Amino acid sequence: MAQKKTFICIGCPLGCRVTLTIDGKGAVAGFAGNKCKEGEKYVLEEYTNPVRTLTATVLTEGSSQPLLAVRTSRPIVKTKLAEGMAVLAKVRARPPLKIGDVVVPNLLDTGADIVASGNLSS
Amino acid sequence: MKLHDVDVAVIGAGPAGMAAAIRAREAGAEKVVLMERAEELGGLLHQCVHNGFGLLYFNEDLTGPEYGHRFIEKALDTGVTPLLETMVVRLGEDRQIGAVNTKEGFITFRPKSIVLAMGCRERSRGALNIPGTRPAGVLTAGTAQRYVNVEGFVPGKKVVILGSGDIGMIMARRLTLEGARVEAVVEILPYIGGLIRNEVQCLHDFDIPLFLNHTVTQIHGEERVEAVTVAQVNGNRQPVAGTQRTIACDTLLLSVGLIPENELSIMAGVRLDPVTGGARVDETRQTNIPGVFAGGNVLHVHDLVDNVSWESEMAGESAARFALEGKQKESGKIVVRAGRNIRYVVPQTISGRRDTTLYMRVNEPEETVRIKVGDIMTKGVRAVKPSEMLKIELSAEKLGKLREGTKEITVDCEKRGGK
Repeated sequence: MAQKKTFICIGCPLGCRVTLTIDGKGAVAGFAGNKCKEGEKYVLEEYTNPVRTLTATVLTEGSSQPLLAVRTSRPIVKTKLAEGMAVLAKVRARPPLKIGDVVVPNLLDTGADIVASGNLSS
Repeated sequence: MKLHDVDVAVIGAGPAGMAAAIRAREAGAEKVVLMERAEELGGLLHQCVHNGFGLLYFNEDLTGPEYGHRFIEKALDTGVTPLLETMVVRLGEDRQIGAVNTKEGFITFRPKSIVLAMGCRERSRGALNIPGTRPAGVLTAGTAQRYVNVEGFVPGKKVVILGSGDIGMIMARRLTLEGARVEAVVEILPYIGGLIRNEVQCLHDFDIPLFLNHTVTQIHGEERVEAVTVAQVNGNRQPVAGTQRTIACDTLLLSVGLIPENELSIMAGVRLDPVTGGARVDETRQTNIPGVFAGGNVLHVHDLVDNVSWESEMAGESAARFALEGKQKESGKIVVRAGRNIRYVVPQTISGRRDTTLYMRVNEPEETVRIKVGDIMTKGVRAVKPSEMLKIELSAEKLGKLREGTKEITVDCEKRGGK
């Protein structure tokens, strides 16, 4: 049985609704609704490996600043965002930290680190 | 500090002010002060912990604090003088500034030129006239953003968001990740108010329902918000009888537009554009008052910080030149008019002698259009939306095609033939 999935392309303000057809063997069988090739590229990525940069804050210890802004060093698979937040809920950042310093190495074995996206002083 | 020695004073140290001050120094202004009422440089960037900043300016995907720190460091490296915890309370027509801080009390000085970079603030409940009680739990999306990202508490557990501006959608995602449940994003227009990438990555990714053509018609609750009534609206944005339903929630966030913060500009006699809510400027970003320039969200509300930085650099460079030369060589004489499906164009006047970038927004979404600038230029655009600012670059050479004595030029968004 062929399956259809719809995506909204974020490549330009047009925001094409692109319908992806997947054949019975799980292979990509076609695209419909996109007005340019970029749409196919975007949808293929979103279908095969949708990734997002996780940005959040963590609590601090030993700083007058209650929170430190953090991010993943590169995008991680979309399905791990909530799990990533659960890890961050247990983290306490201690000063001094500078932008780019690793706060949690290799988050959930994604290969991406959680790094400081702000500076933290005492 | 000898304030009477100041060449350029920049009011507001958010992304606009920092970019203006840095460029003013680079363009040769000796003493550039960057006046900021908060205790640090960077403005609202500190609370915008999400990414998507700098994609155009740095060709990198940065968070707000990361983007801000690049400018903070550059401001200090280039010799900009920050004046923190200092609030400008007076601005005279003669460019006299009056400000207060806790160290020096009331200070006055008269810089050779000024850049207005005060940014904007959020439209609040009072501007919407939503009927109902006045319980706790009604706040703007930006206030919630500060609570969650800077102060460290989540303002509610069950949230409805009115308005689909970027900050609202970003807070929908942020609150969801922090464990709150976002029941709905309600938008009165038939299309979202923010960027498509935010609709996809903030709402769809988390299955947050979006109700277009809907609004909040009532807020319920005594001490705390208990529910809101939501109704569909007709083409005149009026609620349709019989479509009301009640959504239980403890928090209502408002993401219903931004207003340039121009109290000081008005005090100084700066002429404003009723559509943008910001100053009317020429292509150097000079207002009607010689030596007073403006850039960023105080001039018109931007969707991308990258454009705020670029625009404010123009204002900073012009301010430096004015400070060095004591006057502006030539200012805009040709009026730029917003024509078909164009809501506004900044700058509102141009000299026609320099390379000029027109920033504009449309009234309605449209596909397959061309932007036509008088009869000197057309540019095909695949799709336009009110939420996405358009930029059209005009070279001095193109502008040279204008007939001598041209008094105005109209920008139109026209339908193209074909499909």
